[in-house]
Amino acid sequence: MSARRQLAIAAILVAIVSARLAAQDTGAIAGRVVLRADTAAPARGAVVSIAGTALADTTNADGRFLLAPLGSGQRTLRVRLPGWRTAERIVLVRAGDTARVDVVLRPDVQLLETVRTNARFFADSVTDAPALSTLSLDAAAIAGVPAVGEPDVVRLVQLLPGVVSRNDFNTGLIVRGGEADQNLVLLDGFPLYNPFHLGGLFSTFMDATVGGLELLTGAFPARYGDRLSSVLAVRSAEEHRPGLHTTADLSALGATARFAGAFDDGAGTWSVAGRRTYADAAQRIFTNDVFPYHFHDLQAHATYALRGGVRLALTAYEGRDVLDADLAAFQSDSVFSKSSRGRWKFDWGNQLLGVAATKDFGDRVTLEQRLSTTAFSTNLNLGDGAFAQRSEVRELRASGSLRLRGDVHEPSLGYELAAQRLRYASGSSATQTTDVDLVQRPVSAALWLDDVWHLTPRLTVEGGLRGETQSARHWAALSPRASLRVEATPLLALTAGVGRITQTMHSLAGDGALRYFDIWLASDSFVPVATAWHYVAGAERRVRNAGLVRVEGYVKHYDRVLEANLSDDPQRRGDEFLPASGLSYGADLLARWQPDSGVSGWVAYSYGVSERTRDGTTWSPGSDRRHDLEVVARWQLAKYRVGARFGFATGTPYTPIVGGVTRRAYDPSTDRWGTGDPEIVIESLGASYNSARFPPNHRLDLDVSRDFLVRGATVTPYLGLANAYNAHNVFVYLYSYSTDLPTRRAISQFPILPSAGVRVAF
Amino acid sequence: MRSSVARLLVVGAGLAFAAACEIEKAAIPPGPKFLALHGVLSASAPTQAILLERTRNGSLRPVAPSFELESPLGSDSGIAESGATISLVTPAGERLFAIEDNIGGGPRGEGVYRFYLPGASLERNLPYRLEVRTRDGEVLSAETSVPGGAPALVADSMGFDRSTDALVITWPRSPGARSYFVRVESPLGPRAFFTSDTTVRLPGDLRNVDLDELPHLFIPGFPQAITVSAVDSNYYDWFRTHADPLSGRGLVDRVEGGLGVFGSIVRLRLYDLDVTAPQPEPIAGTFDLVGPPEDTEIQRYTRLDLYVESHAARSDQPDALSGRAVRRVTFFDPGCPLCGVLGSVHDGKVELQFLSGWSASDTADTFTGELRGDTIVGNFQIARGVAHFLKRR
Repeated sequence: MSARRQLAIAAILVAIVSARLAAQDTGAIAGRVVLRADTAAPARGAVVSIAGTALADTTNADGRFLLAPLGSGQRTLRVRLPGWRTAERIVLVRAGDTARVDVVLRPDVQLLETVRTNARFFADSVTDAPALSTLSLDAAAIAGVPAVGEPDVVRLVQLLPGVVSRNDFNTGLIVRGGEADQNLVLLDGFPLYNPFHLGGLFSTFMDATVGGLELLTGAFPARYGDRLSSVLAVRSAEEHRPGLHTTADLSALGATARFAGAFDDGAGTWSVAGRRTYADAAQRIFTNDVFPYHFHDLQAHATYALRGGVRLALTAYEGRDVLDADLAAFQSDSVFSKSSRGRWKFDWGNQLLGVAATKDFGDRVTLEQRLSTTAFSTNLNLGDGAFAQRSEVRELRASGSLRLRGDVHEPSLGYELAAQRLRYASGSSATQTTDVDLVQRPVSAALWLDDVWHLTPRLTVEGGLRGETQSARHWAALSPRASLRVEATPLLALTAGVGRITQTMHSLAGDGALRYFDIWLASDSFVPVATAWHYVAGAERRVRNAGLVRVEGYVKHYDRVLEANLSDDPQRRGDEFLPASGLSYGADLLARWQPDSGVSGWVAYSYGVSERTRDGTTWSPGSDRRHDLEVVARWQLAKYRVGARFGFATGTPYTPIVGGVTRRAYDPSTDRWGTGDPEIVIESLGASYNSARFPPNHRLDLDVSRDFLVRGATVTPYLGLANAYNAHNVFVYLYSYSTDLPTRRAISQFPILPSAGVRVAF
Repeated sequence: MRSSVARLLVVGAGLAFAAACEIEKAAIPPGPKFLALHGVLSASAPTQAILLERTRNGSLRPVAPSFELESPLGSDSGIAESGATISLVTPAGERLFAIEDNIGGGPRGEGVYRFYLPGASLERNLPYRLEVRTRDGEVLSAETSVPGGAPALVADSMGFDRSTDALVITWPRSPGARSYFVRVESPLGPRAFFTSDTTVRLPGDLRNVDLDELPHLFIPGFPQAITVSAVDSNYYDWFRTHADPLSGRGLVDRVEGGLGVFGSIVRLRLYDLDVTAPQPEPIAGTFDLVGPPEDTEIQRYTRLDLYVESHAARSDQPDALSGRAVRRVTFFDPGCPLCGVLGSVHDGKVELQFLSGWSASDTADTFTGELRGDTIVGNFQIARGVAHFLKRR
């Protein structure tokens, strides 16, 4: 047993002992909010609070909530949900006990969307599980947080502890030293393989469609697998008000519209939304020039609660980036004709269709079955088939779980079964030549068991085991997971966890400064399965109910992590990846403050060290950012909502270029070197890989907005300013050795970027 | 496989750099200098040429005067390494020494070392070892084996109507070949690619994806050579890989003591196409220089064959023209008797570039004029007077 594993076990034992020694003078309230008694349609997103305190929680998809810790005595429980009457219940809280409360809401006549002025950033966990390394964000949290061009909930994720970004142009999530392809991204529980637009500048999740998200940064429960570093679970917003409700958002980048409502007395909800960028259309209107790029999103979500406790949910998504550039149609700026130029066609995007059925058997048993199909594809076509490249992953997935909620144990048993088809093809239909045409059809299956065990009112242990197998690799493994949470004092909790994670899907995107999307390959006889062990220990302290400070330390040991091979041979299978071992360790700190009024926000600090080793050589991956500080604040200034974000981070590694070698061409038709081609190709020569670091980054973003009530609609214009003081943050260095005075040019990340937009809701 | 992924990032990189801007430019100290070798043993070459130069490290400013085939380093931004001793150890153990081309010690031919070893005498699938020792005592070595296969020594010449024709080339597998290298010469730059197949189809409307602007590969009016060659793994790995510009990683070479390639090539197929296309447009056709002798005698070009290479994609842009011109060659004005022409026409206004040969990178003269009925009338930039070119019926 390694020293690190021994340390983790020792930490868990210490935490258990601490818990048993801790006093038991507080209690909790847990329960469920439903919209109708007959269908038990869950009220997701209801705010449950204790009157006279700032303690509050938001109900999850099942309508469940948890409020803790609470001093013993009589408390007034208040439940609020837009479109429904506020409900209050008197609850008696006993020390060392959890009071169970179910609330049924009734429709209200109020139909305006609530103003987001004092929306809370973070939702607390609504389960009794330890939930270490877990952060939940409310959709409303986005209001007032500065955005770049377009409000984007996923951008918020980059401001959380444990998450760093490589640079402004590369929003692949780097979680605790992981790689950008090691994040499992789920929309309503269904996987999306590449949920980003424009090379990651924006996520595929439209602001108005997001109800909230949850980020797990380590030692996940057994129900999650196949990504080594994190789980990002985004859930769709649900409209519980009857009638038709519309949200429209016109930003500097694009236009978004969402239509939603509830039906059948609240038993069902529906929403459809769409977004499209319009720079291409605007360019056509005002100039003769061409801007050949746009992206669009379409999303639909519906829920319906049948009689008998069966709830159905459907999620559909389609999004695509399209670059269709007829180079001959670009405005000519020289006497020489551009008519001979060819065409670039390039598109990529996701498709998703998923349904879920959930049935409660009483209050203690829930059965869930899910079925989904998801796809991500890229298509590049240069010169009408002179060169074409295609990558796609299609997946059909079935999964299910059975959850039991006892007073001491909350066991769950679940499965996943996924059939995938991956294709990576490159060649030319015009010349009828093929560089590569790789098709993979792996089938993967997982069976998992998880139990949340309330050893004492203050000590909760979650243990799990995930058995996995994959056909293409003929691989099977058991991955244990364990975590615990100790309420050492009413305000202090200690957490620890350990788990083995595996990954059978890998990206060819590489470790470069630019990463636009992942091109996926599955493990097979050539490509091994990547594995990692997570060890996490932390402490969490509440500050007067409105505040919280959380510190977590982690060690992530990669037994095997795969790095894309820059020199792989298209005519040979098996050299696509170079396996390495790896180690990441560090600590995250989150200090948040979210009172009912006044200034709210958080400070996130991440310290991390990451290294990879192969053949005796150790290096830092390009995402290894040692210190990352994010400060986010929002406050109300008269009628204006003001948001600010400041980030400071140490530089990431890069490889200095020390020279260049000219690539000479040999002309076989004349048997001579050199052909007088117009362009000389200079290949860069690098020093030791990632042996230097960029200077530190810092940036201040500002946002101001105001709500107006206009004829029954809420109109919210907003102004944003990214990089407000125009900090010169280095994106890359470009070297020139073509003169006798070699130079290095620093290319900036985002310069100062103003943006504006308006949101209308009714 | 990953190398082709890089193509997908080109657009994104362009967008990112477009959004970014330069914030600092700083002088840095020169880096280390390495020896760079480009050598190929060719089964069809009368001699075997090796190029030896230094990598660019910022200690010298490479220069690029007009390209000369006889001086592929000195005329093409090279930093030639002169005075080295280069030898080739044959499979039989015989050691041959190369002679540098810079006869008389001038700059012309510096860094170009030649083994007077005909390709026909190269032994196949047996190791040849190259050894280099510079004047400063640096040592570099590499090894290659020449694949099997009968070399194509004479070109198959044929006409090629770009609008209707497609050239299908097949060849036998070559023992010892790692891959097959297809290369099409084109005035805007060659198109070259590797294939593991033994057949390739080259349609007339094929685009050149080696150039960012994706122009047509076949240009009417131009002669274009096509080769298919069997290559060894050194040649294949060096020319199929590229260094990531930001990290310098990715390039595969097997030269010890330096960088570069020492590979082998057997030219299996050689074609010489005379590319044509229909000429229905008023500007397309054969035009002869006409006029009184005192006007025509001062002109260098006596005949034009013009084609509409591409019609404009927009009404406010010109059509692209291509073709060839017959040129007077004299003792005082040597050069190509038949040269390439590129140009454009828009609303009757004609602009033509008369090339020094067949490469778009080297222009000899520029013509500006207009199409009046069946006559092109205008002026050359260098030659005096007004030139009239009358279309043949």
